[in-house]
Amino acid sequence: MVRANSLKLPKWLSLAVGVAIWLSLSCGLLNAMPPAQRIVLPNGLIVITSEEHALPFVTFKLLLHAGARRDPSGQGGLASLTARALLFGTQKQSMASINEQLDYIGAPLSADAGRDYAVISFRVLKKDLADGLKLFAEVLTQPAFPVEEVANEKTRTLAAIRASEDRPGEVAEKAFLNALYGAGPYGQPVIGTKESVEKLTVDELRQFYDSCYDPNNSIMVIVGDLGEKELKDTILPKVAGWQKRGLPAATLEIKAESAKKTVAIDRPLTQANLILGHGGIKRDNPDFYAVTVMNYIFGGGGLTSRLMQEIRERRGLAYSVYSGFDTGKYQGSFQIVLQTKNASARDAIQFALAEMSRMRTQLVSEKELDGAKKYLIGSFPLRLITQDGIASFLMQLEYQDLGFDYAERYPGLIQAVTAEDVLRVARAYLHPENYILVAVANLKEAGLEQ
Amino acid sequence: MTTKRALLAALALLPIFLFVLVSSLPAETKESVSETVLSSGLKVLLLENHKAHVVTFQVWYRVGSRNEEYGKTGLSHLLEHMMFKGTEKIGPGELSRIIQENGGQHNAFTSADSTTYFQNFSADRINVSLELESDRMQHLMLREQDFRTERSVVMEERRLRTDDSPKAILWEQLEATAFQSQPYHWPVIGWMQDIARLTLDDLKSYYQRYYNPANAVLVVVGDFRKDELLSRIERFFGTIPKGARPEEQVSLEEPQQGGRRTIVKKEARLASLVMGYHVPNLREQQRQGSQQDSYALEVVEALLGSGESSRLQTSLVRSKKLALGVGVNHPLLSKDPSLFSISADVLPDKDVADVEKAIDEEIERLQREPVSERELQKAKNKMEAGFVFHQDSLFSQAMELAQYEMVLSWRNIDEYLPGIRKVSAEDVQRVAKRYLVPDNRTVAVLVPLPPKGSAPRLPDPSTREQGVK
Repeated sequence: MVRANSLKLPKWLSLAVGVAIWLSLSCGLLNAMPPAQRIVLPNGLIVITSEEHALPFVTFKLLLHAGARRDPSGQGGLASLTARALLFGTQKQSMASINEQLDYIGAPLSADAGRDYAVISFRVLKKDLADGLKLFAEVLTQPAFPVEEVANEKTRTLAAIRASEDRPGEVAEKAFLNALYGAGPYGQPVIGTKESVEKLTVDELRQFYDSCYDPNNSIMVIVGDLGEKELKDTILPKVAGWQKRGLPAATLEIKAESAKKTVAIDRPLTQANLILGHGGIKRDNPDFYAVTVMNYIFGGGGLTSRLMQEIRERRGLAYSVYSGFDTGKYQGSFQIVLQTKNASARDAIQFALAEMSRMRTQLVSEKELDGAKKYLIGSFPLRLITQDGIASFLMQLEYQDLGFDYAERYPGLIQAVTAEDVLRVARAYLHPENYILVAVANLKEAGLEQ
Repeated sequence: MTTKRALLAALALLPIFLFVLVSSLPAETKESVSETVLSSGLKVLLLENHKAHVVTFQVWYRVGSRNEEYGKTGLSHLLEHMMFKGTEKIGPGELSRIIQENGGQHNAFTSADSTTYFQNFSADRINVSLELESDRMQHLMLREQDFRTERSVVMEERRLRTDDSPKAILWEQLEATAFQSQPYHWPVIGWMQDIARLTLDDLKSYYQRYYNPANAVLVVVGDFRKDELLSRIERFFGTIPKGARPEEQVSLEEPQQGGRRTIVKKEARLASLVMGYHVPNLREQQRQGSQQDSYALEVVEALLGSGESSRLQTSLVRSKKLALGVGVNHPLLSKDPSLFSISADVLPDKDVADVEKAIDEEIERLQREPVSERELQKAKNKMEAGFVFHQDSLFSQAMELAQYEMVLSWRNIDEYLPGIRKVSAEDVQRVAKRYLVPDNRTVAVLVPLPPKGSAPRLPDPSTREQGVK
């Protein structure tokens, strides 16, 4: 249901409101979606609010189109470092001073960039809303990027890259994405590489900030104990002062490798850490819902999935095995991820491939199909319990352009998927002949020496 | 099916509790929670929370790795896995299918002190949990074939969590060194050779001994009406034969007679350091009629490690540039006294000894100088805010109630914030001097070995070892 906007805005905003919608859904499962309101400020910032008065605090999430996908070539890690460096001090005060004040009001503030976008997260008690928001806005709009702090963070980043080499799952993931996307933006680690991070400069951070941090089209979601008064008097004045830059939107072409390929990395491990997969789909692919159902049955459905049944429950070969499509705005990957003792690596790979083929050749049973739909529809409300859950959900609605009636439409979209759809999308999006296999293992024991 | 004290440790890092007197919150725990003990001996804790149409349903058994014996470690955790293998009524694998078809998320976890099974659902599905949990509390089918397969799964789990993780090995060694007679000596998942030698009969007698209503606590938080739900709970759990609650006391560690040190040498990229000081926990303090030391140690934890402006973060990470990160944990809610721990990942080219020295300096500073009014208030504010934030999750609410109940009583939750507020600068100094001393400490150091067949300091091992076909 869409009602007219009843929010009264301050005068300086009177020309502002491009779109303002109240949403409220009612009854049964569907009241899972809490009422939300969307406005667009004159500086282009999209503000989505949802009141939740059970507890006296407020959660903010700000999405900026400043993800690692916009790292210039050879400057891997720039988006990530820029996001973190927002918290290193402003033109008015040092990092130590900001941190002390944030801790004094117990308000966690964090900033980090992922592959597609950066997110600044903030949470503050209602009684400290004004003080907290002042710091949040200062950090966002007036970062100083102090040379020494940035240099220190580079040192730590290089150490973190090194440390990640001790986590075989991450080593495998990095190698897989590199094999799949090569030198393209999705092929490089978000955190950067040793070579790229070493070279990053403060000027490059400033440049990245100037070219990617823009209120225009950024999405700010605010959930919690706030009303019209707090929004009008405290929040909007702070964020409306953020100057619009009117930067052009950046688009992205993703090219995924489609040739068969094996990457074997030798480590003195007891287990082979395996990733088997290939290119996936975009979130706006009309087959998204059929793919969701298919993947649940195949490897996404916890202990009930086919991969889990065959590899763990029947044979005891792994503690964890799952599959997933990473569906962003651009083409993400499809991956089967499992770890098994070196000696059973080859068997596990064969079982996974056999299940992939079975998905493509036989219709799933009515029972499996029904079970998948019931879970996907029935568990939907569990996404919307906490302020954080609601904020992330609303952020995705806006970012992926799913529409504010998404929670209402979702059961129908899943319900409509047939066994034939599942077979069709398995044939279209699972490729048991053309895959990338990454093994981080004791290659000799695993029989994967090349 | 996760293991772990790690989970509890992570939680303890944010010591935050529900429904105590926070100025703007109306209810306190005592008024909101209803406690009932059924005739079968099952204790039931119900907390209504109507903000969303969901519930969390959790069964906590008073059994964990602390109840195991030498040579039989990992038994609690393996039994937790077997609890998904069906009953006389429910076939193997059916349990997960039934829960998921009802839109439920479910899992289980084992710690040193307890074993927990939970489901999160739409509120109208509570009956599914009532049926399944009351059934597997008494009618578990333990079959040889399932057991053999699941034991392999658990061995894979140990390889994944511990054997291939240098830092997990380091923590395991810290506890094995700090605890000699107390069961916290061994890991929750068990030693590999013990797991391999466990038998179906071990599991059967363990299940008989520990799985009964008198040894369990049921916690439900969410959108229901207490009276109505309680009568349904009675129907499912009230008639189960009342078992005995097994003896709980285990051997405790004797006071440490001097510092200990353990070294782990393993292929790794960064050195790492963990130190653990024996401290009393809330339970032991309560027995002695004073919890002030435990609350003061909570504040010490916050001063040293909570937030970007905390002392170790400022000193080790920001100003001295010795560590990639630091962690501080005070185990307020362990069943037996445990370790106040401080950990640090050492930056490349920095010396572990310097990191240790820098930590020592911060501890000595705590002992020497009273903390300022502002800094003390900052730590307390942060803990109180964290407490309020924590209530956002029904799951965390239920967990907090249960964790308190496992150790003392859920009613003690209401003493937490008042206890914290009372901590003075002198209290901080006093507990730092009393407990955070070298003779009472174990230090575990991860000495990274360079990858085989290479010089110690190659810049990036990944590019060198990677062969692309």
